[in-house]
Amino acid sequence: MKINRRFPFQAKWILAGVALVVALLAPLALESYWLHVFIIAYFYALLASSWALLAGYAGQFSFGHMAFMAIGGYTSGLLGRYFNTPPLLGILLGTLLAGITGLTIGGLVLRFKASYLALFTIAFSEILRMVIKGESGITRGDQGLSVAPLFGTEVISRLPYYYTMLAVLVICLILMYWLANSRVGLFLRAIREDEEAAAARGVDVVKFKVLTFVVTSMIAGLAGGFFAHYITILTPNILIIPQMGLVIAMAIIGGVESLIAAAVGGVIIQISLEWLRQFEAWRLVIFGALLILTLRFARDGLVTPLLQRIFGTAPKAELRTDVSSNAAKEEVNLDEA
Amino acid sequence: MQYFMALATTGLIMGIIYALMALGLTLIFSILNVINFAHGEFYMLGGYFSYFLLTWFTGLNPFIAVLVSGLMVALIGLIFEYFFLRPMHLGRIERPPEYAVLITFGLSFFLQNLALAVFGPYPHRPPSFFSGAVDLGITRVSADRLTASVLSLVLMALLLLLINKTWIGKALQAVSQNKDAAAVVGINPLRMNTIAFALGVGLASIAGALLAPSFSIVPDVGAVPSIRSYVIIVLGGMGSLPGSILGGILIGLVESFGAGYFPDPSRGLTYKTAFGLVIFALVLLFKPTGFFGRRRS
Repeated sequence: MKINRRFPFQAKWILAGVALVVALLAPLALESYWLHVFIIAYFYALLASSWALLAGYAGQFSFGHMAFMAIGGYTSGLLGRYFNTPPLLGILLGTLLAGITGLTIGGLVLRFKASYLALFTIAFSEILRMVIKGESGITRGDQGLSVAPLFGTEVISRLPYYYTMLAVLVICLILMYWLANSRVGLFLRAIREDEEAAAARGVDVVKFKVLTFVVTSMIAGLAGGFFAHYITILTPNILIIPQMGLVIAMAIIGGVESLIAAAVGGVIIQISLEWLRQFEAWRLVIFGALLILTLRFARDGLVTPLLQRIFGTAPKAELRTDVSSNAAKEEVNLDEA
Repeated sequence: MQYFMALATTGLIMGIIYALMALGLTLIFSILNVINFAHGEFYMLGGYFSYFLLTWFTGLNPFIAVLVSGLMVALIGLIFEYFFLRPMHLGRIERPPEYAVLITFGLSFFLQNLALAVFGPYPHRPPSFFSGAVDLGITRVSADRLTASVLSLVLMALLLLLINKTWIGKALQAVSQNKDAAAVVGINPLRMNTIAFALGVGLASIAGALLAPSFSIVPDVGAVPSIRSYVIIVLGGMGSLPGSILGGILIGLVESFGAGYFPDPSRGLTYKTAFGLVIFALVLLFKPTGFFGRRRS
């Protein structure tokens, strides 16, 4: 039983199906350059939606998401460079390392109030960037670490990369959707509504927060691995704080309480950035302003309400009911579980 | 020993400036219960404002420029607080703690990109306060940094006087201790929020303007100082003014000794900030409330 059903069941899946078909057929109409734009857009969609799982469902804010992405990318890149590790194994190990790092940081910080995670991860991310930049003997620093392409140097077409990134995105979205709608997701929302009440009802608050943090960190690491083996060069600039800001803007402007909306936000913003190329640095100023205004005036983001309008539902009343009825529903669910 | 004393001196000098910036962050946190994730960007704005004031008005006293840039940034802070943070305290925002983290981070993202668009990625460096270096007997220190440090000390003393001796300061303390009780005795907590925020970001801006002649200003110049301030306020105990002064000096010393005694000196500079993260982790492990922290409801 789900407590936060935002759209009528069928309409939601029909829309997802249509979007998937469009994405599968899109390469027929796209030239190689736009194929590249979409590959990068799917990469950002993956980052934005996994960040939204942590922020929108668990209420925890990580400013180190790009650091986990970089751990995934650099692990695979460095293993390939020094030990000739095949890309897929490298991506797997990078994802694992991102998870282990997430477990360490989460175990240390998530016992405390949410702001500590934000404080610690922003510091961790900047320091990781400095280390990567500083240890240029190993990582090549600002010159860039060259990474083997996923499908070897003979494959010039971007098509296989397009479908790979799309597949990774769809699989991760399904995984996250399942997690968010499982008992874990329920507990997470209970924690977010009222941590003490959840703890009092027997929810192991820290365990579920750490679990979510590890899962989202691993997804960021996975995204970073595939990104590295597509873009074939990594520099410390991929984890500067404004990059993190961009991913957060995507998730918030899309709608942080819906994985799909955050992913759609990622795709739309990445493509708009390409469209608005002539505005150069002002593009990000526009999205910065949009981020602040969305936060202040449209906490559900801009994509979620749009979808709601199309389907003519008003799930807000259900989502934001007073605490008592919410608690009652959670009680039912906890008993079922 | 000579080397030790030299490192201690430079650490102390920098630590005092770090403390000034962290003090602003602490002031905001203790009154508004908000961690200002845009603190580094206010530091950056302070640097740019003093640069442009000195470029446009030739012959302007650099200390006046520092002060004016502080006031300009305080005004920006005041406007931001009024439109984006005050609604939080009026109950117009759902989940205020989450909103506070995101809105200040959003402001940081906006300001950093705005600076990049307006000023470009190239470094700007305002003229020195005093050129050359001063021989302190133990070690030679650049006159600019010494000036910045002495001025920071003066400002901190003034701030503590303001907090402890004036009506506004006492009202601020009252709000930080108990909002409702403060309101009962006729203090408007909303006004105190605005004052604290403007004052806090003004201090960050002054720190930025004071250090601008030593380290050039670029759009992301605020990242390292702000991260340092986060470590300092956790170390000092969230919301404690004496804690952040002590924490600032301690971090200054740690960075100085860490860089000075690092086996490979060129790397020592790279890892200077990383020592802060280690301290952060140690505080969380062994004394999560920091030096002077108190439990907050």
